[in-house]
Amino acid sequence: MRNIENRKYVIALIFLIIPLIFIVRLFYMQVVDTQWKERAAQISENRITTYPARGIVYDRNGVKIISNEVYYDIHVIPKQTNNTDSIALTKLLGISMDEYVSKMNKARNYSRRKPSELVRQIPPNEFSVIAPELYKYPGFFEVARTLRVYPKKIAAHVLGYMNEANGTDIEKDSYYKSGDYIGRSGIEKMYEKELRGQRGVKYYLQDAIGLSTGKYENGDYDTLAVQGQNLSLSIDWELQAYGEKLMQNKLGSIVAIEPATGEILAMISAPTYDPNLLVGRHLGANYGALAEDTLLPLQNRSLNSAYPPGSIFKTVMALIGMQEGVITENASFPCNKALAGCHNHPTAMNVSDGVKMSCNPYFIQLVRRIVQQGKDKSIFKDAAIGLDIWAKYVRSFGIGTDLQVDYPTNVHGNVPDAAYYDKHLNFRWAFSTIQSIAIGQGEVLITPLEMANLAAILANRGYFIPPHFIKSIDQGEIPEIYRTKKYTMVDSAYFEPVIDGMWRVVHEDGGTARRARLDSIAICGKTGTVENFKRISGKVYQLTDHSNFMAFAPRDNPQIAISVFIENSGFGGTWSAPLASLMIEKYITGTVADTAKENRILNANLIPDAEDIIRK
Amino acid sequence: MRGQENKLFAHIDWGLLSVYFILVFLGISNVYSSVFDPDNPGLFSLDTEHGKQIMWFGVSLFLGIVIFFLESNFIRKYAYWFYGFTMLLLIAVLFTSPINGARSWFGFGGVGIQPSEFAKIGVAMALARFIDQNSSSKESRSLKNVSGLSTLWGIIPFILKNKETALILGLPCVLVLLQPDAGTFIIFTSFLLVLYREGYAGNILLFLVIAVIIAVITLLVADTNFMFLFTKIKLSGNAGIIIVLVLLAGIFAAIIRSFVMKRNRKPLYRSLIGSFLIAVIFVNFVEIGYTNILQSHQKERIDLLLGKIDDPDGKGYNINRAKAAIGSGGFMGKGFKSATLANASQRHVPMQSTDFIFCTWSEERGFIGAFVLVGLYTFLLLKMVVMAERQRSVFTRVYAYCVASIFFYHFMINVGMAIGLAPVIGIPLPFFSYGGSSMMSFSVLIFILLKLDSERKVVLQ
Ligand SMILES: [Zn+2]
Repeated sequence: MRNIENRKYVIALIFLIIPLIFIVRLFYMQVVDTQWKERAAQISENRITTYPARGIVYDRNGVKIISNEVYYDIHVIPKQTNNTDSIALTKLLGISMDEYVSKMNKARNYSRRKPSELVRQIPPNEFSVIAPELYKYPGFFEVARTLRVYPKKIAAHVLGYMNEANGTDIEKDSYYKSGDYIGRSGIEKMYEKELRGQRGVKYYLQDAIGLSTGKYENGDYDTLAVQGQNLSLSIDWELQAYGEKLMQNKLGSIVAIEPATGEILAMISAPTYDPNLLVGRHLGANYGALAEDTLLPLQNRSLNSAYPPGSIFKTVMALIGMQEGVITENASFPCNKALAGCHNHPTAMNVSDGVKMSCNPYFIQLVRRIVQQGKDKSIFKDAAIGLDIWAKYVRSFGIGTDLQVDYPTNVHGNVPDAAYYDKHLNFRWAFSTIQSIAIGQGEVLITPLEMANLAAILANRGYFIPPHFIKSIDQGEIPEIYRTKKYTMVDSAYFEPVIDGMWRVVHEDGGTARRARLDSIAICGKTGTVENFKRISGKVYQLTDHSNFMAFAPRDNPQIAISVFIENSGFGGTWSAPLASLMIEKYITGTVADTAKENRILNANLIPDAEDIIRK
Repeated sequence: MRGQENKLFAHIDWGLLSVYFILVFLGISNVYSSVFDPDNPGLFSLDTEHGKQIMWFGVSLFLGIVIFFLESNFIRKYAYWFYGFTMLLLIAVLFTSPINGARSWFGFGGVGIQPSEFAKIGVAMALARFIDQNSSSKESRSLKNVSGLSTLWGIIPFILKNKETALILGLPCVLVLLQPDAGTFIIFTSFLLVLYREGYAGNILLFLVIAVIIAVITLLVADTNFMFLFTKIKLSGNAGIIIVLVLLAGIFAAIIRSFVMKRNRKPLYRSLIGSFLIAVIFVNFVEIGYTNILQSHQKERIDLLLGKIDDPDGKGYNINRAKAAIGSGGFMGKGFKSATLANASQRHVPMQSTDFIFCTWSEERGFIGAFVLVGLYTFLLLKMVVMAERQRSVFTRVYAYCVASIFFYHFMINVGMAIGLAPVIGIPLPFFSYGGSSMMSFSVLIFILLKLDSERKVVLQ
């Protein structure tokens, strides 16, 4: 019987062991193991992201050039749907039954409790029809999202476009989530961080079917969305629109800068397109069409292409020669056509004449003095020393350097130096080998922006402020570099003879840009012609020359510096110079007096056709 | 009057009564917290679960007072009558229309009564009465000797020679299975603990432990196949277990042969063969039960517990939400009325005010609270053992063990289920789960025990 009495201890032991196991288990679940806390958060908490409105962009006069418009996505939470009349719903949303079925299956496979997108970016006018009907379909709801709208339909290349962030973007910056939009080019890309603002997050508690039941921790972890910053650009929308109009049916670019500030007043790349094409549901299709166009409308020719500068480069040569002391402003060189081709003109008696007459032999002889200064006995070594001095001067004009423009680009011009030729020529070289650089041909390359910046340097008599689009960020200051003058290596005193030559180019008979002359405004300009070669099935053809023109105006206290580049337009004085003068007149006076000149430009179609190639 | 009072409440075990009140108070506050609706914060509205729970507690107190006015002898005398009454209720409930697939409820104008809750009291009283009567007769001594067999082989003669005990326990088991209510059936097996204490089948607990181990292994390998060693013969998992059992039997036989004197070997061999046969029968019984008798949802619950299936948002939804609620409570808990999962308005944990009420408590009170609650139940159980052991009346002792066993099973299975150590079986956590029948039946169990215990000295006289 003792044996049986002891059984009470066995029972007491069982009554102790089971609770002990429970305590250990509970301690593990509640204190040690974190998986159940994570699981609980996953089950009971939901975060709702609030998207800030993207910053508005204004032109220099406070006119909206980029704005926002609310579009609506239709989302579905499969678990909350109930006897959906799919035929009526597809009709209402304007989608096919196949699309509906496949999207719904995808949504269910993704999550029954979380929302999935069903229809994207319904414009406000279409949504106003859908909205009053949507309540009949539980589980379906709209998510407002703002998309860009470009009210003036201008400056597509400058403003850029946005599309959905891809894997690389998300990897690079954890701010982005799948489905977010990101600035892909132009100002939208450059000022993405300022424009996008800061997303807000609200944490909610949700019940078993995913409905919100209150704020999480009284909203202590919630963050408010911060509105994107508004930008003012230096662009003058009317000038930009006018430039785009002038450049219709032409290939090329216009860049206009305010010399005193470095502010870019207009940047046109032709052909252009309506920036609203690259917004919303049709972005993909429109982008595809633009990308396939052989005229490359998506390319920003103002920034992303470099050409030999041609004759406009001569202005820089004269300045370097004077600064380096190899010539004075009264230097005269004979028009020795054995050195290079030239047109018939009186002998250039000084720098001003040289610039006005654009005499090729004049500048070849001038630059020879810069490059071959006799600093070494060997003409080869001497040329290398001299060329490097020359290149340093040229680069101080911003050519072939990073101008630090606030635009996503890495295309610069090219200024060949000794190392460049050592690398690219497989024989010893001296100035005679490379003399075409003196007249802006050969290996020298310049972008239209650098060309406009050169015009601004000439207008400023020796310095520039890095060209930029930004005028203010939320009324605040712009970066220091856009307020800092960068001086060239040439003293301002040497500029006057060159500027005089440029004035005469426009205003004197025998000048190459007489078509640019305006009665009211003193324009200083320089034309250029760029030989145009094209390789077609292995054979090199010479096509109609590209023409360019750079100018600033008025001569005293200049307000605008401009470069115009028109492909296949022949001689620079024919099209580029008058076009530039229209821009200058429009900007300074607000109107154009000579409508005949304007119509001549507007009506010109300079886009080369296939015959142009065959003709040459 | 004063004398009457003194007599009525004399020798009451205030410790047990205090734990009872503490558990009821915590339980009702927890139901209140779990169903709390900020738009309707009333405490005493009978539209709310906590309001009803308070009402049921009031009814329970009334029943308690009635019990205290009864004579202990009356309780003893009418034990069988009460048992019979509850059995009639269990039979009658089978003729009601099913609710959620089971005939377990009597509805009285919006109030549901679960007779199986009261059947526990009936069985406890009848068992106590029966063992009490037998202990005083000579016949029972020999019966005990027979039932004290040291081998598993003895289980069959045990059942045969204790027809009355088997009947008292077997009848309600069959009746609740007819409802069907597997949870209450399992609760009735708790009386095996009482039989163990009262000297029946000594190895019954060892037998239970071995049976559970074999059952778990059988269930784990059910529906599986394996390649027999070095051959290409495909065998079921079941066959594998039997092969292992044969090997074990062979090893034991070898041990007996090597270490036991020849004249003592015979009974050992007999026990070994008996045990082996029972084990083989048991394995097959479990497998057939699992594959053919259990309903698919019951099978799923077992598979989930054993980790054979993992489906946190489907079949394992309840238990996954329950564990997340408990685990997310952390050390200190989220605070009163602050559960974000086990809460009526969030509805993540199903049945959070009844079967999964432990989730609300553990989520809001954290490990500290869970520890206190487990501690309170442990105290309650040990207190009952102490009370049982101090009785001179066999009736009271057996009754006390019955109550302890019932509470132990409810506690073990309900909490074990919520923390993923027991399969999902819908039985209430005493005084915590919302429900009038369970509040009343657990209260009555305690009050009868208190009453009987308070007269332990009277019996001596
Ligand atoms: Zn000449």
